[in-house]
Amino acid sequence: MKNRINGTLAIVLLVTAGCSSKSAVTSTDSTAPKATPQVAEAPVSPAAPGLATSHAAPTGYGFDKWQTGPLGDVFFDYDSSSLSSDAQGQLKQNAGWLSSNGAKKTTIEGHCDSRGTSEYNLALGERRASSAKDYLVKLGVAASRIESVSFGEEKPFAEGQNEEAWSKNRRAHFIVK
Amino acid sequence: MPAARLALSAVIVFFSLIISAPRSLVAADSGEYIAIRKQGSGRIALVLDRAQTDGRQEAGWAESINSVVHDGLDFTGFFTLIPPPLNVRQNPAGKGQSVNFAALNSIGAEIYAGGKVAATGANITFTAEVYEALGAKPILRKSYTGTPGEIRSIAHQFCADLVELLTGKKSLFGSKIVFVSNKSGFKEIYQCDFDGAGLEQLTSSKSITLTPVLSPDGRHLAYTDFSSGRPALYIRDLSTKKTLTAAKSGVSIDPGWRNNSEVATTLSHDGDQNIYLLNTAGAVLRRLTNSKSIDLSPTFSPDGGKMAFVSSRNGMPQIFIQNMQSGEAKRLTFSGRYNTQPSWSPAGDKIAYTTWENKGEIDIFVVNADGSALKQLTAKSGENEAPSWSPDGEMIVFSSTRHGRKKLYVMNASGENQRPLLHIDGDQMQPSWSLFTK
Repeated sequence: MKNRINGTLAIVLLVTAGCSSKSAVTSTDSTAPKATPQVAEAPVSPAAPGLATSHAAPTGYGFDKWQTGPLGDVFFDYDSSSLSSDAQGQLKQNAGWLSSNGAKKTTIEGHCDSRGTSEYNLALGERRASSAKDYLVKLGVAASRIESVSFGEEKPFAEGQNEEAWSKNRRAHFIVK
Repeated sequence: MPAARLALSAVIVFFSLIISAPRSLVAADSGEYIAIRKQGSGRIALVLDRAQTDGRQEAGWAESINSVVHDGLDFTGFFTLIPPPLNVRQNPAGKGQSVNFAALNSIGAEIYAGGKVAATGANITFTAEVYEALGAKPILRKSYTGTPGEIRSIAHQFCADLVELLTGKKSLFGSKIVFVSNKSGFKEIYQCDFDGAGLEQLTSSKSITLTPVLSPDGRHLAYTDFSSGRPALYIRDLSTKKTLTAAKSGVSIDPGWRNNSEVATTLSHDGDQNIYLLNTAGAVLRRLTNSKSIDLSPTFSPDGGKMAFVSSRNGMPQIFIQNMQSGEAKRLTFSGRYNTQPSWSPAGDKIAYTTWENKGEIDIFVVNADGSALKQLTAKSGENEAPSWSPDGEMIVFSSTRHGRKKLYVMNASGENQRPLLHIDGDQMQPSWSLFTK
């Protein structure tokens, strides 16, 4: 099992190394290999398999009922703080809005699904918020305009113990100030 | 020779113990009584007799003391409590008659505990008398005095003395458990006695408070608090009620005390989540880990020389042990893909932690600090989390979803006798047992 995970991680790293041509931010290709780490890493819960394929990730990045805009949220794979290409696309939009609204600041909240232990999720949530912040800074947004914080699994967006809810809770949530 | 007074089976146990584990034999009370007890060996058969009294008020006190002592001794798991035989007094019609040891021996009692309760002014005095039943030999006679409101404390002081006398070890009586509950609608920190009684709410943040832990002397409480909008380390002086916060940007996660004046916690102001050592004023003394990954949940060996913690430096979270002097870290856990929440035992030999199993359950394991003798303590019972050792190392408190919502449970350190600790509304989690017993 350990070898399989390490092997999978190695593949993910190779894939990400291949796709992120210019930026140092790792990205995961969301189209093809995305299912691989989820299947290998996530403990398959009895209810999950059917849902996992139909709700692999929230579609239509950016706006759902928990977002008031104008900045859209970005979502993450299980136990990951890497930015998918969809997430990078949303962050580019967010950077564009921030550059044309120079007086505004934002807080990025990192969130996790409820699986695993809460102390570790608090750290993981912060890495999600930080990776979103770092990406915006690389795109030219001043770091002083972005605050990042983690709520771990403490403030879930969606209730429920299935991949549909979990995928909604693995996010960096943007608040405009 | 004490063994001569014991039954044949006990004599055999005695000698086998001398051969296999001489250190488990401890002479207490100047060698007057030698306790024979080993983890997993038989319980001590004890008759607890209600204390003798003159008068109705005293009888009520005696009844209360008897009840608290009974529940306290039962909680430890060291005893088989036998109801006193009707003729436990040699002359049942009279008062203050001596103990009927023949009757005690006939029901297999090893120890008899009784005594007297009397009013002394506004106070109660409980004079405990404990005998070894086979030899009719007094082994403890001690008076405990307090107000009628202090009956629980009086009874537990006696329990503490009795357990220490019979096992040769410090007991858990007087210890506290701090934990998180959302019963008010917010996650706040609460405290209760070792047995779940005496519930007290310690924070009213109306925010999120997490991972409380008491300093070894019980003077300070460290925890994570979101009141400022981000998770920060708070240190409260429980005597002055003053609370300080570590003034660092970023987040703070899951503190652990190294000693009475040093607490370690994860801080992220440098960009990565590393563990730092702080003083009780919240000032950083030094950085303990330096990795690009997540390092968290420090827990220390009793001498403070080693720190166990969680790190994702190899990918998934695993538990490592770091030498505090050299800074060298060695991986402790190799079984299980996601191991977190380490807790170092008060004796220093073991580390309890949790594994997130592939089935989605979380289970508690114990392993020797050198990585040997891995043992699973919970199974097939939902999410079992946040193990924390009792100060005598005999028990572990933890949270579990085995009956639905997350509640607190206790078990023997061997995993036996798992049972609920307290019954209150909401979810309870992240329990931490004090090292002090007061």
